[in-house]
Amino acid sequence: MDQAVQIIIGGIVQGCVFALIALGLSLIYRVTGIINLAQGAFCIFGALLGYTFQVTFNWPMPLAILAAVAGTTVFGLVIARTTFVPGLAYLPNSSMLMLTAGLLTFIEGLTLVLWGSQPYATPTFSGERPLDIFGVLVPTQGLWIAGISAIVILATWFVMGRTALGKALAACAENPMAAQIMGIDVPRMTLMSYGISAMIAALGGIAVAPLMSFQFDTGSFFTNAGFIAVVVGGTSSFIGPVAGGLFLGVTEQLAAGYVSSLFADGVALGLLIITLLWRPQGLFAPRRARRHDVREDVRVHRAIVDFRGHGPALAGIALVIALAAIPWVINDGGLMSSLVITLILFISVLGLDVLMGYAGQVSLGQAAFMAIGGYTSAILATTYGVPPLAATSAGIALSLACALVLSLVTMRLRGAYLALATLAFGLLVDSLTVGLTDLTGGPSGLVGIPSFAIGPLVLASPTAMYFFTLALIVVIVLVLLGGMRSSFGRALQAIRTDQTAAAALGINVPAHKMAAFAIAAVLGSLSGSLYAFDFHFLSPEMVATPRSFELIAMLILGGDGTLIGGLIGAALITLLPTLFQPLALYKTLAEGAILVIVFRYLPEGLLGRGAWLVSRLAGALMETFAPTAAADKLP
Amino acid sequence: MNAPALTVDGFVKTFGGVHAVEDVSFTVADGSVAALIGPNGAGKTTLFNLITNFYPADAGQARFYGASLAGLAPEKIARLGLQRTFQTARVFPGMTTLDNVLAGAHRRVRSHGVRQMLWLPGARQEERELAAEAQALLDLVGLSAFSAAAATSLPMGAQKLVEVCRALMARPRMLLLDEPAAGLTDAETAEFASLLRAIRDNGITILVVEHNMSLVMDVADDVIVLDLGRLIARGAPAEVQRDARVVEAYLGAQME
Repeated sequence: MDQAVQIIIGGIVQGCVFALIALGLSLIYRVTGIINLAQGAFCIFGALLGYTFQVTFNWPMPLAILAAVAGTTVFGLVIARTTFVPGLAYLPNSSMLMLTAGLLTFIEGLTLVLWGSQPYATPTFSGERPLDIFGVLVPTQGLWIAGISAIVILATWFVMGRTALGKALAACAENPMAAQIMGIDVPRMTLMSYGISAMIAALGGIAVAPLMSFQFDTGSFFTNAGFIAVVVGGTSSFIGPVAGGLFLGVTEQLAAGYVSSLFADGVALGLLIITLLWRPQGLFAPRRARRHDVREDVRVHRAIVDFRGHGPALAGIALVIALAAIPWVINDGGLMSSLVITLILFISVLGLDVLMGYAGQVSLGQAAFMAIGGYTSAILATTYGVPPLAATSAGIALSLACALVLSLVTMRLRGAYLALATLAFGLLVDSLTVGLTDLTGGPSGLVGIPSFAIGPLVLASPTAMYFFTLALIVVIVLVLLGGMRSSFGRALQAIRTDQTAAAALGINVPAHKMAAFAIAAVLGSLSGSLYAFDFHFLSPEMVATPRSFELIAMLILGGDGTLIGGLIGAALITLLPTLFQPLALYKTLAEGAILVIVFRYLPEGLLGRGAWLVSRLAGALMETFAPTAAADKLP
Repeated sequence: MNAPALTVDGFVKTFGGVHAVEDVSFTVADGSVAALIGPNGAGKTTLFNLITNFYPADAGQARFYGASLAGLAPEKIARLGLQRTFQTARVFPGMTTLDNVLAGAHRRVRSHGVRQMLWLPGARQEERELAAEAQALLDLVGLSAFSAAAATSLPMGAQKLVEVCRALMARPRMLLLDEPAAGLTDAETAEFASLLRAIRDNGITILVVEHNMSLVMDVADDVIVLDLGRLIARGAPAEVQRDARVVEAYLGAQME
């Protein structure tokens, strides 16, 4: 009995923090319709800033906390002012979500550069001795957390419900255009909501920091928990996210206490899926029906890369010849290995391009398929001596099965909800690769994986692996190209921006989404297997959620919906840290910055931009002869 | 007279106490052009959304060549041969004009995705034939010069024409067109009228929502007038034009 009370108290304390993050998430969501994935990163940023002020600078605690909260709020305002708010004006919602994924990576990278990768434990507010309340031991920090949460929640409730600012924010949420016409400065309100959210996140992070160990990448955990709380609670009412957070905290603690801590993540994911299936509007509140006859996302800017004609075919052949010539030019073994990894990751990016670039289904879990494929084939090949080819096929089969289940479960979800369900899936696979120590070797990884082999032909050298992967890519690109330039690809592109109009043309939307998911999973899995065989080693962080974000960065940098563009992105992101070894610390920061900058200034990607320039050039030439030629409009 | 292509039977739809459509029934004869007119807010688009099941009706149902459409998903309705366009042009962004029109042929493509991915000769051949057909349709509406341009870069009137071409690529038995001529100049509207007649002469039944009275009077065999969710008149264009209730709906009651 005592134990149960203890666990529930622990759950409430954890739930308070989840509730705070959920509160911030729902605040931004209500004003802008965007789930801000960077939310959790502000928690960590605030907590570590507090640690620096308090421990390193030796400031008195209240001052340190105040300064950390103020610093994080200002940081949040700067981020919002330079990226989030301007992005809202022209980016479609799915790109905005990815922009916030970029911000999450960017802030994590910044935290890594500033504070390093070690975990931090900040001192408690009022000593380590727990308080004895009727025989139940309560850590005083828990009381602080509950108190701070209660104050923040009440203050937010007051501001939202009782002040002019709250009314203005609510008006933006209801109808931004009408709010604008009524003289409400919507961008300013958005900025405000982002700042308040960063402040709330910092408070939560600082309060919970003494009870947890914090490091630079704990942010995604908080974002995920906060998001699940928002979904469970619903976004329409103020109390929903708070109740959702508490509910999630208690449930997770009960699962961790009575089953196993590995299971806690599973419970969170289960809660998310059940809620999304059973009551997508949230457990605690009703939501208005959405209009279905209006296109949701009109802000789409995309260069159209047309593969028809001789130009692209010749360019493709030239590219393949150039790539095939590389091993004769380069003698550096290390660089050769990096090139192999570039190609292997590109296979995964190709899958992501079909799913995200063509079908428009945002997936934050592509690395999970790499993990499933990589671990399945590595375990089969290492422990059971299965030939690599058969082991890879087994991995693909398992990934395919997972993808079909995932896409069935998430069929009704769109945009942000789908993206976060895939994120939850990725995090679940992460926790399995770390947790199933007997099978996967746990955090220290799986060693002694043999080289890839086709029958008796063993691909032991990087050069052999390079040629094999290159040949594989040529086949895959040709197959995808055949599909994408035909009715299958057109159906995916139609679904990308307008599912309703696509359905009105008789396109089977669920079947096409499922096919795109399957292609992404197969290619992700293949890439993961090759990665493991190439490295002879596989550890969880090689195929964890940050890898998913990296794959997206590669895709977006190169240009999504172009198939081949991802190669540019994969090459830049893989090769640059190899060429400039001392910069490895800045890799995460740079990846985040790349995502943010590309979305902010170059939403059509490098290849897309190039294609646009070429088409403009061609258009200008045509203009000289036929004044009717129309060029794409770009920002 | 032929059997009706479309039968609308007692549709009722209320949005939060507002009666958007109230007990509307009519038929559209096979092979005819019927026009649905009425002042703003009369419930014309809502009626389209009810027929194609974008909204569930509170009561009533539509039948298409005798088969009930109640409860059918929009894509199933499309597969029966009933195609619609939208009031606000909904061309697919990020696709060329030609690809937009080709997207309409989706249900007609016989070679499935795997055959397309393997570049099988049959699939390529089919693709070329469809592209030629789409190009010919664009030619018909005077947009073939823009087939490689982004569809969203076209002016609104042209986008609506692309949408009509896209719907035609599906080879429907019947078209529901929602203000297809909005944004066209008078000369273009006259051309569009002859396009509608050509479509009808090819055996495709048309129900069109239109504000442009000269177009309606020009092409419609039958006019259905809605006002405030109710059907207030129907008949031949000339009859409807003289109907006192129609005049009142459009000009208000101040003439008394």
